[in-house]
Amino acid sequence: MSDRTLSADRPLPEGVRDLLFADAAAFRAMTAALQATWLGWGYREISLPTFEYADTLATDVGAAVDAEMYRFFDRHGRTLALRPDMTIPTARVVGTRLYDQPMPLRLAYVGSVFRYEPPRAGRQHEFTQAGVELIGAAGALADAESVALAVGALQAVGLPDFRITVGHVGFFRGLLAALNLPERTTARLRVAVDRKAEAELAQLLGEILGLPPLARNAVLTLPRLMGDARVLAEAEAICLNTTMMQALSDLAAVAGLLVAHGVAERVAYDLSEVRDLDYYTGITFEGFAPGLGFNLVSGGRYDELIGHFGPPLAAVGWALTLDRVLLARELQGISHEEPRCDVLLSARDCPACLRWAAQARARGLRVELDPLGLAPDALWQAAQARGIPRAAHHTDPQTLTVRDAAGARAIAAEDWQEVAAWLNR
Amino acid sequence: MAEPLTVALPKGRLIEDALGFLARAGYAVPANGDGGRKLVLDGADGRLRYIMVKPADVPVFVEYGAADVGIAGLDVIREAERDVYEPLLLPFGRCRLVVAGRGDRPDLPLRLERSPRVATKFPRLTEAFFRKRGVAAELIVMAGSVELAPLVGLADLIVDLVQTGVTLRENGLVELRTILESQAMLIANRASYRLRAGVVRELIDGLAGVVRGT
Repeated sequence: MSDRTLSADRPLPEGVRDLLFADAAAFRAMTAALQATWLGWGYREISLPTFEYADTLATDVGAAVDAEMYRFFDRHGRTLALRPDMTIPTARVVGTRLYDQPMPLRLAYVGSVFRYEPPRAGRQHEFTQAGVELIGAAGALADAESVALAVGALQAVGLPDFRITVGHVGFFRGLLAALNLPERTTARLRVAVDRKAEAELAQLLGEILGLPPLARNAVLTLPRLMGDARVLAEAEAICLNTTMMQALSDLAAVAGLLVAHGVAERVAYDLSEVRDLDYYTGITFEGFAPGLGFNLVSGGRYDELIGHFGPPLAAVGWALTLDRVLLARELQGISHEEPRCDVLLSARDCPACLRWAAQARARGLRVELDPLGLAPDALWQAAQARGIPRAAHHTDPQTLTVRDAAGARAIAAEDWQEVAAWLNR
Repeated sequence: MAEPLTVALPKGRLIEDALGFLARAGYAVPANGDGGRKLVLDGADGRLRYIMVKPADVPVFVEYGAADVGIAGLDVIREAERDVYEPLLLPFGRCRLVVAGRGDRPDLPLRLERSPRVATKFPRLTEAFFRKRGVAAELIVMAGSVELAPLVGLADLIVDLVQTGVTLRENGLVELRTILESQAMLIANRASYRLRAGVVRELIDGLAGVVRGT
């Protein structure tokens, strides 16, 4: 073997990665668990194109995501882009093709999305999202379904510890309307609330003259409005208008339904969440796990998006980043075993072996063939090196010499009861 | 007893004040602070675990959740541009990030510079400052002794931290503009802020109480 380092000759572009063996198996298993979960709620899977016209994908996404899109040209010079999320293509499909179907529509997807963003924990430029959208249904029942399904999804992918925090854009929007500040001050206030910067908020309020004490108190209390459903009652004290009251009553209705869904202890409420204020129109939520400073799942109500593509339709949904869930599971000590073969079978110059392997596979056994013609001892060593717990070779067409950690012996090859007894030992 | 909350502290000029504030807020702090070689230290009361890191790394430890909270200067926090919460300003470590140039520099507004070479340890903030003014600055990123650059003709201007201004004056440099007024800040990991809300809130309120008392 040459000791030349080959990897230096073929670097990968920044932001993409290979998933090998156990990781690929973990992704596959998580996807299967997610599919089983949303099928249980009546969601139907769609598969969407990886790239579309850039104009379509840039619809209503906001400047940040717009700047992060991978754009390129087709042969006619039209600008295409790789999808930066799955919600926009889903909204496009609904608005242009599914708008007259019986409502509500329940849609689900899994796929890669692409963003030029600084690589963060568990997110490269290409990462995998799985998500659901509930379309054509407004109101607390639909909102609560989406949150409860997000809890179910994180449980299904095997994450022991996580929390989903639910907020509502109406609360902060109502507060901004009541404050009626100049645009620049509003922008600063929003940044400070987004960073939970309590001191900065106090400083900012000091600069604003003539603000009523009630409004001042509302702003200062905002970063503390986080916790279980009791904060919704506490928040009533600082409501300045009906928009804020409406947001609270929406959330209280959702909170009640989440108790009925049996997921209340997984959910907290956060009224100072102001992320994606322009995109969402009702509740918003994010899922977090210990030790990972990034959300695993993110979602909310977006009743205005589909109207950009067709008739307006109410919609609520979420997307989960599988790469981050994998990381969060590792942080919580959950590892994923790659499925391994049951038997390594010597197959050189042995038609009987191939017949036996075919029969064994038909019975659900995983049989790997050794094409090298290894001698029995070498065969057993090769099996161990690959993590296969058993090796076997035919001594004659009717007799199989099997080897495992307990030693070697001969069994009748076609006696499937004996074979099963050996395997289950 | 629950796991202690992990606090990332910046080795160097902020450490004494940071430990002092935590002690006054009622937390057990390591006796020899920065002096030892150990990088992970447990508070005697089991409430906090301290990790000692380079100042510029504090936001990274906190963003990734290797630390639940951290204390760092606003200068490194704004330069790092990490996704963390910023619940509390602390009244120490005050300094200014300034644009400075040689005393004999022609009296010319910065926006009329053609494409000045600017030496700095803060490339992101420097780039943003000049770009906002429409000036295409050429950044020279350095690891230390930034004041030297204009003296030997490496750069036209510098962007650097100033506490008293003595170092600048001794090197014949004058402050032209303040980019940022910096002081220490408590930052928190976005997941810890939610998942460990009780103990994080206790720390914020405890430190806020000390701040009010100063």
